[in-house]
Amino acid sequence: MRKSWIPVVILWLAYSVLIIWATAQFTWFPKEWAEEAAVVDEAMLLLQYLSAPVMGLVLAVMTWSVIGWRTEGGAHREDGPPQRTNRVVVTSWLVITSALAIYVVINPGFIGLAEIRGEPSSDYVIELQAQQFFWEVTYPNGATALDELVIPSEARVRYDILSIDVLHSFWIPAFRIKIDAIPGITTTAFATAEADGTFEDDVNLRVQCAELCGAGHANMAMPIRVVSDAEWNEYIETLADNE
Amino acid sequence: MKYVIRASVLAFAGYVAGIWLTVAVRGGSPTDEVAVVIGYILALTGWLAGIGGIEAFGRQWIGKSSEVSTDRGWRRYFEFSVDHKVIGIQYGVTLIGVLLIGGISAMIMRIELAAPGSGFVDLDDFNKIVSMHGILMVAVAVAGIIGAFGNYIIPIQIGAQDMAFPRLNAIGYWLIPPVAVALLLSPLLGAFNAGWTSYAPLSVTNESGQILFNMAIVTFGMSSILGGINVITTVITMRAPGMTWGRLPIFTWAGLATSVLSFAVTQFFAAAVILVTMDRVAGTSFFQPEVGSALLYEHIFWFYSHPAVYIMVLPGFGVILEIVTTFARKPLFAYKAVVASIFTIVGLSVVVWAHHMFTSGMANFLHGPFMILTEAISIPTGVIFLGILGTLWQGRLWFRTPLVIAFGWLFNFTIGGITGIFLADVATDIHLHDTYFVVAHFHYTIVGGSIFALLAASFYWFPKITGRMYNETAGKIFGIWVTVAFNFTFIPLFWAGMNGMNRRIGDYPDAFAGANKFASVSALILGASFLLYIGNLVYSAIWGPKVGPNPWNARTLEWLIPSPPPQHNFTSQPVVIGHPYAYGVKGSVHAHFPDAESPDDPGDGRGSDEEGVLV
Repeated sequence: MRKSWIPVVILWLAYSVLIIWATAQFTWFPKEWAEEAAVVDEAMLLLQYLSAPVMGLVLAVMTWSVIGWRTEGGAHREDGPPQRTNRVVVTSWLVITSALAIYVVINPGFIGLAEIRGEPSSDYVIELQAQQFFWEVTYPNGATALDELVIPSEARVRYDILSIDVLHSFWIPAFRIKIDAIPGITTTAFATAEADGTFEDDVNLRVQCAELCGAGHANMAMPIRVVSDAEWNEYIETLADNE
Repeated sequence: MKYVIRASVLAFAGYVAGIWLTVAVRGGSPTDEVAVVIGYILALTGWLAGIGGIEAFGRQWIGKSSEVSTDRGWRRYFEFSVDHKVIGIQYGVTLIGVLLIGGISAMIMRIELAAPGSGFVDLDDFNKIVSMHGILMVAVAVAGIIGAFGNYIIPIQIGAQDMAFPRLNAIGYWLIPPVAVALLLSPLLGAFNAGWTSYAPLSVTNESGQILFNMAIVTFGMSSILGGINVITTVITMRAPGMTWGRLPIFTWAGLATSVLSFAVTQFFAAAVILVTMDRVAGTSFFQPEVGSALLYEHIFWFYSHPAVYIMVLPGFGVILEIVTTFARKPLFAYKAVVASIFTIVGLSVVVWAHHMFTSGMANFLHGPFMILTEAISIPTGVIFLGILGTLWQGRLWFRTPLVIAFGWLFNFTIGGITGIFLADVATDIHLHDTYFVVAHFHYTIVGGSIFALLAASFYWFPKITGRMYNETAGKIFGIWVTVAFNFTFIPLFWAGMNGMNRRIGDYPDAFAGANKFASVSALILGASFLLYIGNLVYSAIWGPKVGPNPWNARTLEWLIPSPPPQHNFTSQPVVIGHPYAYGVKGSVHAHFPDAESPDDPGDGRGSDEEGVLV
């Protein structure tokens, strides 16, 4: 009984390694179509690895509780050792968990925040206006579209998001960016698309409303097409000419 | 029953009178929202007068003495009883009923989501069912443990005969049925489709059922605030001789912390929905973008609703710590650090609300501070986990149903806590916000942390409350069944959320079909487990074998009196002489009854402040 830390530590290591191994085996995230997506995915993967020892410790104590510390024989059997507390354990627990929390705040917290929200410059500005239950795109040359969002690849685009009725949210899962559309306020999001592709290639290449906005919320999505810079300029010119 | 009938008649009469009065004064239709508001207020007044408010309060106003129900049979559960034990059972049975209705709404949602496309219910009805499910379950999580077991157990644990304000306590309970009725009748006015969060401006422009939602929130809030005042006063002023703060049982500590929070922050939700109501019926423009702010609602709402998750979970901590220490036969590890952590969480919980708003478009500089404060909560939560794990350490673990469910709780809440870090970090939250990852996360924390504790508590205190023992085999099967089915339901939803499925949608892209089908089948199996739960408790309450005062050989005061407890809890004054959890300390006794005449009085022995040893 006195040596119960040995099996618990072994179990802890085993569970942690198992969770880390399992984490490394799978692709957890959808395909990354923008530079920003890589930042988010790296942050998530780091957090997954950091959670392994935490989950592992709880699982280890739970497992050894069932295997090593279970007793039968009803309520009137002997009590356990009267360990009230242990200053060293409590103090080191506090220090370790605080250090972990501080580390997570810095990385991926502030580092990720800086990478995602830090750089306000952009090559193009595309405006999206939300209303129940569709998006209206306005390109830099004033051309507008309702059926799809066409984006130049390899260019940093600023999205100006507006709403004319209730709250909506502008989300492109393939880019991992999201910002709410608020009536009366213009919000912004930035993304640099990396490769050409369409909604048919990946269901996550869509603008999805992510804030409950009423009856048509579920289907308030618009397909995205990422094309080369030249093709994009040609597309918006044609669009403007047709208006 | 006659009081319930009288109350229902008066409530209906009040509603009709309110509608009639409004139409007579201003004209318009009886379904106009202002008429509904006036009708609801008079209906609520009629209900409270009818249920016993006239006897308990009204008679005093005309100089007569107040009368409250003194029935001892089953009738007292349908009357304005001021006995905290009756009120606890009223809360428990009502909220388990609400839990089942909320569960049925969840089953409807999972059937609709079993395959892509919209067929079983249409998209708008789906949003309405989501909203109804959300608010019903929030009510259960907010009031379940503290309403049922807080009322029943806390006064006994501190050695009091009742709560400090028994009539207020009864009012607090009798405000709950109108909440349920208002919410469940809201489909007559078009229901509400803005989610339980009811973000403006959608909640200003949707159908009139939203008004009943708003009224229900205000009523429920009154109940929470009255309950909060009552528990705070009771714990501070009504402790038995010798019940020092250092000897207070951990469930009572958790209940006190919860009550401080619900007393302090509930009014913010009420304020938010009252502003929405004013925008709808009085022509104000708090949330209109041109003159007001569409973002303002979120700030007011989350100022209540983030602390609210601790109102839900802190009593859960209390229950689980209580169960773990009893069934591990060991002192509660690091008791003082755990209590300090509970109150640290209370403090931090009111300064983290904007982490729900990282994608809301609020000012950029706010993201950093709210991220730091949110992550800081993981530190006291970790200390509470240390308390649980440290108590299990080298314990003599007796795996009865409460401990089995507590293990389910431990597993679930660990996952809930870890996934919370993903949502506290701005970088990851920007992608995960409003996706199924969030849905899975808050089910792990709220179901895993609060509802599982409610289930564990209902087995743990079942013999005390009914005087009978539940069926152990059926209890254990339920404990394992509910834990496994719960995890099978929600694990796939983490994946769906990460991979691009947003929440509150009745239809979704085909890519998520597999995960959803799996979750739906698991959810139905999860729902079915509750038949075993209800069956076990109902059967055992009537035909279960009788038990003595202390089947778990536990130490806190509720176990030193008969099961079920006598009308005023204690036949002689308890005196607390030692620590509640000094398991394994020779000769240690928590409390005794020095005036008791019975020779076999359970609590008699030496007092000692020793609560265990440092290791």
